Amino acid sequence: MNPSVSLGIVGAGIFAVLIFATLASRRTVVDPQEFIVGGRSFGALFLWILLAGEIYTSFTFLGAAGWAYGRGAPAFYILCYGTIAFTLSYFLLPPIWAIAKERGLLTEADFFAERYGSRRLGILVACVGFAFLVPYVTLQLSGLEILLRIAGYSTLNSTTTVGVAFALMTGFVYLNGLRGTAWASVVKDLAVVLAVLFAGIALPIRFFGSPAGVVDRVLAVRPHWLTLANDLSAQGTLWFVSTVLLTALGFYMWPQSFAAIFAARDGNVLRQNAIFLPFYQLMLLLVYFAGFTALLVVPGLKGPAADQSFLLVVQRYYPSWVLGLVAFAGCLAALVPASGQILGAASLFAKNVLGDGFGVATNDAARLRATRLLIVVVAALALAWWLAARTSLVGLLLIGYSGVTQFFPGVVMALARTRPSARAVGAGIVAGIIVVAIAGWRATPTLFGLNVGLFALLVNATVAFATNAIRRSRGSAQLATP
Amino acid sequence: MMRYALAAVPVAMLTLAIPFANRVEPRVFGLPFLLAWIVLWILLTPAFLGAVSRLDRSR
Repeated sequence: MNPSVSLGIVGAGIFAVLIFATLASRRTVVDPQEFIVGGRSFGALFLWILLAGEIYTSFTFLGAAGWAYGRGAPAFYILCYGTIAFTLSYFLLPPIWAIAKERGLLTEADFFAERYGSRRLGILVACVGFAFLVPYVTLQLSGLEILLRIAGYSTLNSTTTVGVAFALMTGFVYLNGLRGTAWASVVKDLAVVLAVLFAGIALPIRFFGSPAGVVDRVLAVRPHWLTLANDLSAQGTLWFVSTVLLTALGFYMWPQSFAAIFAARDGNVLRQNAIFLPFYQLMLLLVYFAGFTALLVVPGLKGPAADQSFLLVVQRYYPSWVLGLVAFAGCLAALVPASGQILGAASLFAKNVLGDGFGVATNDAARLRATRLLIVVVAALALAWWLAARTSLVGLLLIGYSGVTQFFPGVVMALARTRPSARAVGAGIVAGIIVVAIAGWRATPTLFGLNVGLFALLVNATVAFATNAIRRSRGSAQLATP
Repeated sequence: MMRYALAAVPVAMLTLAIPFANRVEPRVFGLPFLLAWIVLWILLTPAFLGAVSRLDRSR
């Protein structure tokens, strides 16, 4: 047990990745197109890595194992929803990309403003997206804190370490924008794959002979752990199906993922990605094995502490350098997505709120400056939130998903031939967010066994439809009585 | 229509069919049946999307 070995590996590793990504993304011309959407030049492989980098976060790394440890079969929802999101994306993303390319769009809010002919709607979308992104960045900080605490064998002041790691990352996004994030993603993906192979295969073999051996033991100790409750309970089959649907619809609605679509070189790149991304999901299977192993080896962790489960196994039974490498991969899994999220939130606010709303920073140079300034602001907000309220990994994420999923009806209808009015779409989003907020406030994640986000979506679509119908009938009444 | 129907198959299998696949036995390669079912359909999704893409290109 030597904290300076494990922490040294983490620190040197992160520093090396930052240098590598900075050198790799050096370009002579930096304008908002390049900084925010990578000059719309990413081919299939590079985009795949960027998307995987933004999607597989410290939540995937720690949270999925934590759920396998703390809840069992409900954790399998994480395996399902990505696959469904990729299927949807095959049909939805290419037309979105084409519109963005034709009109030079930079953000998700731009897409709304452009398709519904309303800057105000763009501002609303920007504010909602911003509001849900900041806690998502905070989530990555919670992950970082766990990783650094365990890697340091609890010898470090975690607030300081998290602060330092985060300042490094902020400076990195500030300098390199989206291309830098994508290059950092290359290293991150490699590190995470190796760490997951280790955790999901080497851990079960060491303690139980094989990954299947772990399953046998879990079933012997807890016969119902690997199936869902067949009823309307908080995490029964109905919850499972509705949560898979909700999170699948919300998947690409996160502003940073939506903007990542724009970085594609052409529509076919997006189709190829949709076809091959499901394979990446299978990594989660190994994460579950790691969680199950931890359940048997270090039982008794309660609530949010379950997120630490398999790291504790590594800490307790393996040398410091192994722990250092695993924690390094985990830290990248927090920092790389966080940089994408920070960039997403900053560009939304700079372009749509400051630029379109207040007429500030409308030329390229000023917009780039404003985006960079906001990168610092967003990072500071997330850090402040984390210091004030240290939350567990999963609860926050599901609320965030319920929130951004409210964009889904507007995005789909934007692709239709006859589009509803901007007011109708805006009213729907506001109504949906209100339902999400009430549910979040009263801590009721399910209603009649269904994920409450799905109700919010229903309210959203109904309000949008009704507002549009009323407006149309009024319009025709006015025409009739001149 | 054919394209959407093809793509809908794995989606339905990973959502609507879940309550029916919700069991431990029979085990597949050591995995409980529910988990094996999910893994199977994740592996098959690229095949279905690949077929959709082939239809797209032949149009």
